[in-house]
Amino acid sequence: MLRIITLLLILLFSTPLYALDGTALLKQVDRNLNPESYEMYRKLINVEPDGKKKEYTLFSLKKGLDKVAALFLAPASDKGRSTLRQGENMWLYIPNVGKPIRITSLQSVVGGVFNNADILALDYAAEYNVEKVEEKATDYLLTLKAKTKDVAYDRLKIWADRDKKLPTRIECLTEAGMLIKTLYFKDVKEFGGGIVRPSLIETDSPLYKEYKSVMIYAKIRQRAFKDEVFTLTFMPNLETMR
Amino acid sequence: MNSCCLAILMILSILLPAMARAEDSYTFDLSETEKKAYHFGGYVEFKPVLYGLDRDAAFYKLRFYNDPQGRTLPEANGRVQLEGSYEKDIYRFYAKTNTDLKYSDYTNGTERSVFYEAYGSLKPSSSLKIDLGKKTMKWGKGYAWNPVAFVDRPKDPDDPELSLEGFIVATTDVIKSFDGPLKTFSFTPVLLPVYDHVNDSFGNNNKLNFAGRFYFLLYDTDIDLMFMTGGSRPDRYGADFSRNITTNFELHGEYSYIRNSHKNVLDASGNMGFLEADAQSYLIGIRHLTTFDLTTIIEYYHNGTSFSVDEIKNYYTVINRGYDQFQTTGSSAMLASAQAMADGSYGRSSAMENYLYIRLSQKEPFGILYFIPALTGSMNLDDQSYTLTPELLYTGITNLELRFRTAFIVGGKDTEFGEKQNDYRMELRVGYYF
Repeated sequence: MLRIITLLLILLFSTPLYALDGTALLKQVDRNLNPESYEMYRKLINVEPDGKKKEYTLFSLKKGLDKVAALFLAPASDKGRSTLRQGENMWLYIPNVGKPIRITSLQSVVGGVFNNADILALDYAAEYNVEKVEEKATDYLLTLKAKTKDVAYDRLKIWADRDKKLPTRIECLTEAGMLIKTLYFKDVKEFGGGIVRPSLIETDSPLYKEYKSVMIYAKIRQRAFKDEVFTLTFMPNLETMR
Repeated sequence: MNSCCLAILMILSILLPAMARAEDSYTFDLSETEKKAYHFGGYVEFKPVLYGLDRDAAFYKLRFYNDPQGRTLPEANGRVQLEGSYEKDIYRFYAKTNTDLKYSDYTNGTERSVFYEAYGSLKPSSSLKIDLGKKTMKWGKGYAWNPVAFVDRPKDPDDPELSLEGFIVATTDVIKSFDGPLKTFSFTPVLLPVYDHVNDSFGNNNKLNFAGRFYFLLYDTDIDLMFMTGGSRPDRYGADFSRNITTNFELHGEYSYIRNSHKNVLDASGNMGFLEADAQSYLIGIRHLTTFDLTTIIEYYHNGTSFSVDEIKNYYTVINRGYDQFQTTGSSAMLASAQAMADGSYGRSSAMENYLYIRLSQKEPFGILYFIPALTGSMNLDDQSYTLTPELLYTGITNLELRFRTAFIVGGKDTEFGEKQNDYRMELRVGYYF
């Protein structure tokens, strides 16, 4: 009898650990952040230690797991630039220079703390495996490992709100566990079409002490695109998709 | 009184952080995202340049034989570019003008205005686009040179990112995406007419040239195949590729094969001859980014349509003979003939066969945001002459770009860079976008 009670107790306490499917949770966090295919507008603000700001406005499109593009609308010096990502292939098109050139995820086309991987972010579940999930008082803590070496950050730690299943904070780490940057997700709001998500991401980095970058989201809406939109040949025409 | 000041300071010390927090509120005015049918913008530039002249060099003698200069020649340059577009449904019209202004004691003032681009587009779907008008096609993967840019004007390797004037063309983009190793295919046919007042600087007159480019994204590699035929220039075929070997290491290359390429060359006696032969030009290059944001671009370029060491040496000999003739007889006939040859092909940049280009640029060193120092070297491998250009770029003020650079132009007698007009060139470029 004592054995049976002990076994039942073990099962009772171990059940939540097995019930928490990290991959499913991560996919849910991804879907809560964005529809699988969407368009949206973002303002990116780099803030220097003296408070000086530089702002960029972007129009972004995403389709499926591996296609995303962003077009710069402002400032005038960057207007018409576009970036494209197809899986691990990334290109930058600068109207003056002409042809799209290959870029990498660690580079930053805008300077500051955000890099290309942040601007052309895919679903987290597309690039990372869940190594561990922990239940905290108000958050889940997901520890992720990159599926390939091509990903900008080898490891991520995502704190996700337990009720909303939305990230509140993400730490981006190297393979050795060194902190590259921290993203803070703030101001959850309704975007329409059932999309409720943080409207502001703030980031800081020990590599850029006292600098800060902010991304503000607007007009996120589900939209279907043809695959041809996410091609190198189409890059100069992204403005026509607005 | 002191206690009063202390109290005020204490209150301020409590309030100030709260005030700072209040400044942390960020706004996004949605009117910025509204699309307008019209767009108008532009760029103005002021660029003072100081040339350090090499008064023994062949190109100095060719240019200043009848108006000797001092050791330096200051020059003021200005540039205005205006661009506008109008879009309605599947139709779009785009135009970009360029005005170059130049002033020095030698040239006085010159001005040249031209449409860089002016074309109409029809885009019935995301898979098909038709353009008609003056347009730059921008073919090739190389940074400093593009031997496969069959329907573009040549880049200036000293400033490869400058926008270029296009040609009047009719062109189409047909795009198709796939699942599998071949992810994208596109075809870009181009019709390029050459008649009086229409692309007449391109080549032989009264010809309708046909060019095309096939693009493939195959196994994560960009591959282009291109051709051009029609008679204004010799028929040519080409290919290029670009691929990331690792995340931060990109490899690219270009190859072009030109049938019956011809050139006028001088022999040792200064007599002009005509050579015709098939020619091959190619480029191989890398682009690498370190974890500390140092970007390295290295390119090797072989130009099969250019001049050998002896051929270019013969040209310098003609200039020197012409200069001596002018000094002794006052006749500039030989120099005028040499000037015509310079305008033809001897005076173009990268006029010889083998070049190495290296550019190192460090993004935001010492945590200085928007600051990029760079060092660029370009070497003629045939005669070991070279240019070395350190530069400082700052883009921290919205829409303003500040660039300062100095080019040191180094080479012995009868070498390409040794016979250039300048020993060095110092320039500040102040550009503003609106």
